[in-house]
Amino acid sequence: MSSSRISGIFVRGRRSFAALTVAGLAVAGGAFAAPAAAQEGPLVDVGWLSENLENPKVRVFEVSVDPGVYERGHIPGAVNISWHTDLVDPVKRDIVSPAKFEELLEKAGVTKDTTIVLYGDNNNWFAAWGAWVFNQYGLGDQVKLLDGGRKLWEKQALPLDTKAPSFASSDLTLPPAKPELRARLADVLETVDGKKNAVIVDIRSADEYSGKLFAPEGSKELSIRAGHVPGAKNVTWSKAVDPETGKFKSKEELRKLYADAGVDGSKPVIVYCRIGERSSHTWYALSRILGYEVKNYDGSWTEYGNSVGVPVVNLAGTVWQGK
Amino acid sequence: MRPTVLRRSALGLAVLIALAILAGVLHLSDGDAARRGLGLSLAFGAAFGVVLQRSRFCFFCNTRDLIEQRDPRGVLALLLALAVGVVGYALVIGAWLPVPAPERLPPDAHIGPVSGALAVAAFAFGLGMAVSGSCISAHLYRLGEGSPTAPFALAGTVAGFAAGFLTWNPLYLTVISEAPVVWLPHHLGYAGTLAASLAALALLAALSLWRARPPVSIAVHGSTGLSALAHAIFVARWPAAVAGLAVGAISAASYLRVGPLGVTAEIGSLARSAASGWGILPETLHGLDGFRGCATVIKQALLSENGLFVLGLVGASFASALVAGQFTPRRPRGRDVVAGLAGGLLMGWGAMMALGCTVGVLLSGIHAGALSGWVFLAAAFVGLLAGLPLRRRLAAG
Repeated sequence: MSSSRISGIFVRGRRSFAALTVAGLAVAGGAFAAPAAAQEGPLVDVGWLSENLENPKVRVFEVSVDPGVYERGHIPGAVNISWHTDLVDPVKRDIVSPAKFEELLEKAGVTKDTTIVLYGDNNNWFAAWGAWVFNQYGLGDQVKLLDGGRKLWEKQALPLDTKAPSFASSDLTLPPAKPELRARLADVLETVDGKKNAVIVDIRSADEYSGKLFAPEGSKELSIRAGHVPGAKNVTWSKAVDPETGKFKSKEELRKLYADAGVDGSKPVIVYCRIGERSSHTWYALSRILGYEVKNYDGSWTEYGNSVGVPVVNLAGTVWQGK
Repeated sequence: MRPTVLRRSALGLAVLIALAILAGVLHLSDGDAARRGLGLSLAFGAAFGVVLQRSRFCFFCNTRDLIEQRDPRGVLALLLALAVGVVGYALVIGAWLPVPAPERLPPDAHIGPVSGALAVAAFAFGLGMAVSGSCISAHLYRLGEGSPTAPFALAGTVAGFAAGFLTWNPLYLTVISEAPVVWLPHHLGYAGTLAASLAALALLAALSLWRARPPVSIAVHGSTGLSALAHAIFVARWPAAVAGLAVGAISAASYLRVGPLGVTAEIGSLARSAASGWGILPETLHGLDGFRGCATVIKQALLSENGLFVLGLVGASFASALVAGQFTPRRPRGRDVVAGLAGGLLMGWGAMMALGCTVGVLLSGIHAGALSGWVFLAAAFVGLLAGLPLRRRLAAG
């Protein structure tokens, strides 16, 4: 949707209730598969979502990492997903188990033909991680990110709600997680050794990549070596978004951004960051928007930078001193 | 200067402060989503400051009035504030977490670990209140009344926080790390928690009335009209019912929009930043940042929500005291300094170890259905009783 159409929607402002009612009538009239499917591709924009909040075939999930953000105001009807407990195994370092994930989705009434929209704070980082988990459980065709995430929704002054919604439970059976979307340490090492033909993309900041920093500002040092995986290309995740709106850049701009770094889709790609969440954002751009074959290495630098005997490139020459 | 001139300049200054706070709220509120929280915090702080000053809402003095003077009004205001907040929080939490599922806690609510360390910390806090003559929130509003003790009590509190950071690690490893975080709705459900909390508060109210020198007469003034109304609002002490309703409502409103009320996060953060800067802080404070309560952080930004809340509290209580003619600064005497520093030290240590004070743990905790709030109430009360004889000696000295 073009920006002019978005502003058109906002100019309507007070008439949005009427617009929703009209949309509801259209749904009742049997024209309903259309609105849910109307937004093709891996992204939905705020304008489309604001018109589809009442659409029973659309289910919205907020994946924010700051506590209390969802509760103090979320997109009306959105279900809360807690990244630290709902999307991961809280004991071992792994993604959520299929049984627990199934339960979460069934409670939210998700079926095989629900359009699932994810959004969150911090530029959709954790929502993108969520999308990666949904994709591993075979829901990729149904999952879309809200382009611009929470930031753009708030910026457009669209309404928020504080009630937690409830839905009739659905019955959903998920296949086992797809291993092909996930890179393990062994895959990364085989790529470094040249046994596997892939290109590795480090999406952290230039200072983390060079080894100047052990961890980004505000995060605790979790790895006792700084630097990057040998051969990895550095394309900081934020280059893929417009800083004003938080929206992904256009497909053409993204293609050029990564091609300039030597990532053109001709070889499989492995992305990593510190804990695997910012790299999910780049995974989404490369895999879902550009259609490349991409694995997210969720062990990321907190696994690689602590592994014994693996090769590291540290351009800055920083030495870990336990401080 | 003639009294009328003094009075006029006091009123003028009060108006200026009120306008400055208003301008601050408006300026902070028109920014992005993150800044709106700052504006609201300043507004909530100002409202809280006015209510505390106008109703003399002080955990220590109100309790002492009941014990020594047999005047139950202040304690009834406290209990009403607890009851109103319990209901307000239930409304908010019920919307956010329709079912109190076992693994979930309401976001940011001050539900702390319950252990012997909490009881000891609250006891020390109660003792410190008695020694210094107020709890931390009341010292803040009394700063606005020109109290000679408050500045020393607050300085003592900062030092007490630093002492708390030094004792945190051993106590965390031996006691607090194993302590259960008990949220009553997990065990009693929402209705059960509401009923049990209100019943406990009603029982405490009944005990207070029984203790009161009979009978409690409610003075009804026959005079009406604008000047009587203005006097009732700006000069006379607000009735217990008004104070209780207002504090409970501000607490629930703040939880809905910004976060639970608390007054020590900023003071503790200042202490933590200073202690860290001087290199006397342990390298790691185990587990501290993972607990719910008045979280302390090493300061990175000048403006914080809790800092603005406290600023609004002190500014508004100063303006309110000026209007009421209750801004009465006097030169501190030796015993003001000693009582303030010693009491503040105890309160600071207690508030650090308990993760908050009478506002952050007792009020916001009981409102949220936290067992830690009730434990703090009981242990601080015992500490206060133990400290009352000391207070009398200090007052006589």
